Amino acid sequence: MFHIKVSLFARTKSLENKIDLFHDKLIDAAMTFKKAIHVFLTEKRGENYRKLSKQIKTIEHDADALRRDIENKLYIQNLIPDLRGDVLHLVENLDKIINKFDEVTYKFYIEQPDIPAEYHSRLIDLCEQVSDCAENMAIASRAFFRDFTTVRDYSQKVYFMEHETDLTSGRMLEAIFDSDLPLANKLQLDSLITEVADIADIAEDCVDELLIFTIKRDI
Amino acid sequence: MDLTYFIFLSSGLFLGWSLGANDAANVFGTAVGTKMVKFRTAALISSLFIIIGAVYAGEGASETLGKLGHINTLPGAFMVALAAALSIYWMVQSALPVSTSQAIVGAIIGWNLYSGKPTEVDLFFQIAGTWVICPILAGVIATIIYYIIKNIVRHSKIHLIRQDLYTRIGLVIAGAFGAYALGANNIANVMGVFVESAPFHEINIGNILHLDKTQVLFLIGGLAISLGVYTYSHRVINTVGDNLMHMSPMVAWIVVVSQGLVLFLFASQGLQHFLLSHNLPALPLVPVSSSQAVIGAIIGIGIAKGGRNINWSILGHIAVGWVLTPIIAALVCFISLFFLENVFNQIVYIP
Repeated sequence: MFHIKVSLFARTKSLENKIDLFHDKLIDAAMTFKKAIHVFLTEKRGENYRKLSKQIKTIEHDADALRRDIENKLYIQNLIPDLRGDVLHLVENLDKIINKFDEVTYKFYIEQPDIPAEYHSRLIDLCEQVSDCAENMAIASRAFFRDFTTVRDYSQKVYFMEHETDLTSGRMLEAIFDSDLPLANKLQLDSLITEVADIADIAEDCVDELLIFTIKRDI
Repeated sequence: MDLTYFIFLSSGLFLGWSLGANDAANVFGTAVGTKMVKFRTAALISSLFIIIGAVYAGEGASETLGKLGHINTLPGAFMVALAAALSIYWMVQSALPVSTSQAIVGAIIGWNLYSGKPTEVDLFFQIAGTWVICPILAGVIATIIYYIIKNIVRHSKIHLIRQDLYTRIGLVIAGAFGAYALGANNIANVMGVFVESAPFHEINIGNILHLDKTQVLFLIGGLAISLGVYTYSHRVINTVGDNLMHMSPMVAWIVVVSQGLVLFLFASQGLQHFLLSHNLPALPLVPVSSSQAVIGAIIGIGIAKGGRNINWSILGHIAVGWVLTPIIAALVCFISLFFLENVFNQIVYIP
């Protein structure tokens, strides 16, 4: 009997840790992405950028493995039956954000866009805003599991950062298309900037659903 | 002890079976319906604790029923239990709300009327009063627990997965307590009328187990209830879990605890003695309806949540049940006793 109790608590603790770890992966991906763009703008596709890109890839792989593990455990152990669908949805949405960080970082690596120096500071701003947005999404989601009364506060930050991202990306695209850059270059930058801004859009969609899940989370 | 006794006891056993089939759903229905507890686990725990409650705490409510009608022959007891069971069956068929407690009280009054024995009006109104108090009390208790739990959940910062584990453990413990209270409170409905004529001997197994003849009777009744739990309650549980209303597992826990507490308050001799010895008001020990306690608890939580989505017409249905069930059971019992006495030549009462 004692053994059963211990194993039940140990299993629960292990799953709690995995969920926490999964959120850590999202924050890691956001921080690494921010650093990678800084490196890319100074060194382009150098050894340092390759390492950071690889680091994000590893984070993405780890997050995928954690997501599968969490999903399996929730189903196999028949946990949180009333909220399981919501939690699976949430975890998958967060995974999409991590995947997008990986995709964008890799795109910079493959395409090696030529970014004129006058856009560097704006691109850094955009990437920082996107990272902040994703980090707040991770915090909001973590709060859903531990302290759901604060989800709304962090969600508000996600909305704010997403709006800032829209403004920054919009201003950047406007400046790029007003410039004398070749059209091919403009279109390439347009595609990259839109991809970066998409990360915040995914986070926003994710937080929209999280707020609904939070209402159900209350007893 | 001859076979005749068991033939007459069969109506009580049938009543016990139907109680197990229907009322176990009130104890574990929401837990199984929300998939927090497996049916097998629920059936095992509820059967075990219903029997323990019936054997060790069933006498209080049984004594009150005994005071209402002193049924002094075995055929009379048989017909009282059968009339209650038939009334329940007909009312269920007519989709009317029904309570075993109300049916048995009606049937006892039917026997009183047939045998010409007086019914203690004060006692009857005391019992009828508990039917009204029961859902209200369940609602009040559920509301208080709801606010306490809501605050704990909001401020304790327990991880969702950990909360799920605690809720499961809570549901099992509350279910065990609810089953114990159900056995203690409702065994009187099933076996109360047979106490007088019980032919059993005391059972002593070493110094561990000692059962007097009433407890042996209640053990048999408890087994009949358990049979109902195992053989039929799954269907009722599915109905409660899916159709009654959507409940989160934590609300399900509050409902089970409230229902268990109310049934316990109306069954515990120990608690009654404690309250009376401290000059505090005590509730009468009367069998009450677990279904109505559950409905009261759900409505209480519904009001605490803002009063939306409450089907108020269900209260009207309960009130109809309070009046209709005892009247129908009394009529069925009266007519059936006439047939049993005059067609089958059985002595249904001793003047």
